[in-house]
Amino acid sequence: MKLKTTNYKNIFYPPGGILLWILIFLELITFGVALIAMVISSKENPTVFHESRLLLNTTFGTVNTVFLITSGFFMAVSVNYLKQKNTKKALLFLTLTMLGGLLFLVLKGVEYSDKIDAGLTIGYNTFFTFYWMLTLFHVIHVIVGLVILISVYFGLKKEISTTTIEDVEASAVFWHMCDLIWLLLFPIIYLLF
Amino acid sequence: MAYVRFNLAVVISNNLFTFLIMNSRTIYVWILLVILTVAVGVISSFPFSYAVVAILVLSGIKFIGVSFYFMELKKAHIFWKISVLIYLLLFLTIVLIFI
Repeated sequence: MKLKTTNYKNIFYPPGGILLWILIFLELITFGVALIAMVISSKENPTVFHESRLLLNTTFGTVNTVFLITSGFFMAVSVNYLKQKNTKKALLFLTLTMLGGLLFLVLKGVEYSDKIDAGLTIGYNTFFTFYWMLTLFHVIHVIVGLVILISVYFGLKKEISTTTIEDVEASAVFWHMCDLIWLLLFPIIYLLF
Repeated sequence: MAYVRFNLAVVISNNLFTFLIMNSRTIYVWILLVILTVAVGVISSFPFSYAVVAILVLSGIKFIGVSFYFMELKKAHIFWKISVLIYLLLFLTIVLIFI
């Protein structure tokens, strides 16, 4: 694997690359505006929002947060090992990262299934419209992140790998972005109303 | 057999020691993030009105933990650090105003 050192103190070279950070800010603004719209629309029907929030499983939300944080931790460790040129350990922690993402998706699937069985679908009320739109959009990001990590995994596994540390860092930053978005979604959707 | 077991124990403890030394800061941040996540879950069950502020502030700290340590923003140019902090401050303030 090609290793070279990047000067992160340069404004044009943040860890993961400038284009990815522009994307991260666009994503954060998009989710941020949607969450603020949710908070504002809760003022019209505070009782509906409160009662609907109580129908969500806070334990599932908390456990999913721990899954994503732990997955992000494994990703950071994987990048650390890669910087030490220890590809074997980096691959091990990359696998654990993907496992964390998969566990998140499985639990989210169970939660969605419960909601659908209870008839709490996207058209049930305004709260659930926001709930489904925001969490599904986030789940799509997690799936895209997993696909990126799988491609990085196989790229690193090749004997003559063309995957650079910048590629891995960019993938890691995208994965952490999924954590960041969830850290905004979880308290507002599951806890505040 | 005892020799093999001893060697295995040495290898495992060496690997664990290297892992802990190499990733000590990341481990501390991870432990803090998990504790804060559980704390946020517990605080949300409290009936008092300040719980909302506490939940948002603790979530903000988690956001900073992930962005500065896991995403290595700590090593980046100050422009990126300030941008993330301004975003977070703006978002939390607007939510607190309207909630």
